[in-house]
Amino acid sequence: MSWQILVNGLVNAALIAPPAIALSLIFGVMRFPNFAIGGYITVGAFFAYAVNVDLGAPIWLAAIAAMIGTAVVVWLSDALVFRPMQGRGPVTLLVLSIALTLILEHIVRLFYGADVRGFDLPLQRPYRFGDIRITQEQIEIIVLAIAIAAITHLILQYTRTGKAVRATADNPMLAQVRGIDTGWIILLTWLYCGMLFGLTGVLAGLDLVIEPLVGWYLTIPIFAAAILGGIGSPYGAMLGALLVGLAEELTVLILPSTYKIGVGFVIIAILLLVRPQGLLGRPEIKK
Amino acid sequence: MQNAISRRTALKGGAAAVAMTLAAPTILRADEAISIGSLTPNTGGGGPFGPNITASHKRVADLVNSQGGVLGREIRLFQENSETNPETAVRAADKLINVNKVLGILGTWSSSVTLGIMPRCQEAGVIQMCTSSSADIPARDQKGLVFNFQALSPVWGRAIGDLSLRRGFETFNVMALNNDFTGSMIDGFVGVVGRDKILVEPFYYNGGQASYRSEVTQLIGEDPEAVFIPAYVTDFTSVYKEIFRQGYEGQVISVSIATTPAFKDVIGDAANGIIHGVPVPPITSPAYKEYLTEAGLEDTGSVQHPFGTAGRDQMSVLLLAMEKAGTTDTAEIAKAIWDVTTGEGKKTVYNVTDGLAAIRAGEEINYSGASSSIEFDEEGMVLGRDFQLAEIRDGKDVVIERLEF
Repeated sequence: MSWQILVNGLVNAALIAPPAIALSLIFGVMRFPNFAIGGYITVGAFFAYAVNVDLGAPIWLAAIAAMIGTAVVVWLSDALVFRPMQGRGPVTLLVLSIALTLILEHIVRLFYGADVRGFDLPLQRPYRFGDIRITQEQIEIIVLAIAIAAITHLILQYTRTGKAVRATADNPMLAQVRGIDTGWIILLTWLYCGMLFGLTGVLAGLDLVIEPLVGWYLTIPIFAAAILGGIGSPYGAMLGALLVGLAEELTVLILPSTYKIGVGFVIIAILLLVRPQGLLGRPEIKK
Repeated sequence: MQNAISRRTALKGGAAAVAMTLAAPTILRADEAISIGSLTPNTGGGGPFGPNITASHKRVADLVNSQGGVLGREIRLFQENSETNPETAVRAADKLINVNKVLGILGTWSSSVTLGIMPRCQEAGVIQMCTSSSADIPARDQKGLVFNFQALSPVWGRAIGDLSLRRGFETFNVMALNNDFTGSMIDGFVGVVGRDKILVEPFYYNGGQASYRSEVTQLIGEDPEAVFIPAYVTDFTSVYKEIFRQGYEGQVISVSIATTPAFKDVIGDAANGIIHGVPVPPITSPAYKEYLTEAGLEDTGSVQHPFGTAGRDQMSVLLLAMEKAGTTDTAEIAKAIWDVTTGEGKKTVYNVTDGLAAIRAGEEINYSGASSSIEFDEEGMVLGRDFQLAEIRDGKDVVIERLEF
């Protein structure tokens, strides 16, 4: 059973790694914890549902549409909600982001109601490797998460845009002085992260169910992963996702399952006490 | 030509006006309307059922208002959505009690919501009518103001356990959503099938998790012949997907509120073979057939609106009891609820119109409802709902056993 639980943890990690990377990137350039990620993920799931079920398109096309659609919603949320409030401090933006996630959820509810929904795909039986069971879909989710982590790494490390994103995250004023169009970089970051949230919506819809709260269910593990890795550090988010995914699943070996949701909070609390900057984050020096 | 009204004419006119006011029940005293709250799960876990309950409350209230109201007063219905969430429900109950001044809150569905608002209702002397199954409900009702139109969950657990044993299963594992509804259901189930037939210690999980993988791994450990999972539709859909993906091929047993049409849509062919049970309306009763007509439904011969029917009965019973008590004092109404529903040798009525007419004619009545015959025990819990076990075949529920009370 414990090998199966390790596999379970890996699949969990693969689900929360892409949005944790996105959350970290957004924090890096915007400097506030964006709780609207739950709403973005829900919107992504329903975009894909509309294209896959209402329009009858295949799931890969629905996933692309969801990524584009969510990127637009995320960009609009910046243009209409966060940018006008820039300069009001991170707490104001945090509260705004909580309001935004509720608004997005309720807009979805307005159109689709509260019923559970699913993509037009048959459920799959697993491959068996001894006592270990894993479906093709879960293997695809893991591969996709590794690919996203690699692509994000390549972009950040080796492209001019990626370097500009890191420079903007480090010090936006200095980046501007060096000729970086930080407005453009922030827009690109929002769009890229929006695509990751849209994709997470699709994966969550495949793994759980499509309903207005699906994004909220993932919010705490995503935050735990981002904080554990060091918020603002995309690499840390990847590591954090792996550790949170495994920790949540391994919990059931020693604690009743009902404590599982608390694991994310416990990880956040311990990290903030012991190493506030997270595993791979750098301490912020205030002058 | 004189147009002056004589004293005699004025007196005649005045007397006629008073007589019309008293005789014509449709002219209601709106300023003295009787406020009643409807607090239903229109979203969340009970989302598939709440709107039917709401609609039933409104239909009965509208019907009675069109016929002159109760005690000559209009019924004013205030509807709120509990979101199947105790916190939301308590806020809504506060508003209903303190702002709308309701004398009863009808329609709560999940046990946690019914129990959550109970302290507020007890303190304010407000009657509660619910379809909740936690065994804690009668225990916490200190004032005799709670009336439950649903069988308590130990009854569900025992009935499902009994029907499962009769189908020949010999080993089980049990996992349940962590709430008041399922806790005592597991006790009932384990009590009937026997602790020795359960391979892994029964355990609970929380709804709203990011994954149910390891819970399912635990559930299907030691490969039992059947697993029993009392749950709500949202979490059960995720759990069942995982059960299927982890390759379990034994029998999955749940409750029918978790296997709604939306569940079957999501799961598709993989849902075939699931067995589920639920207390059901007596589908041959006159009140159930009247309900179908009122709700604009075809009589398909199978159970429809298991909770909408209870909504009709809740509002009907409350209004009948009010008329019987002749007052809006909630303690008196609560006593009258037994008078109009329970006991033999009375005139049986199947709807509020006939019931009000009989009470006004001085007759003793026993209201027989669309959700059950509506007989309450001394704690206000409904007795003897029919119980049905169905199997999903080709995406449809096929009744495989039915216990009639």
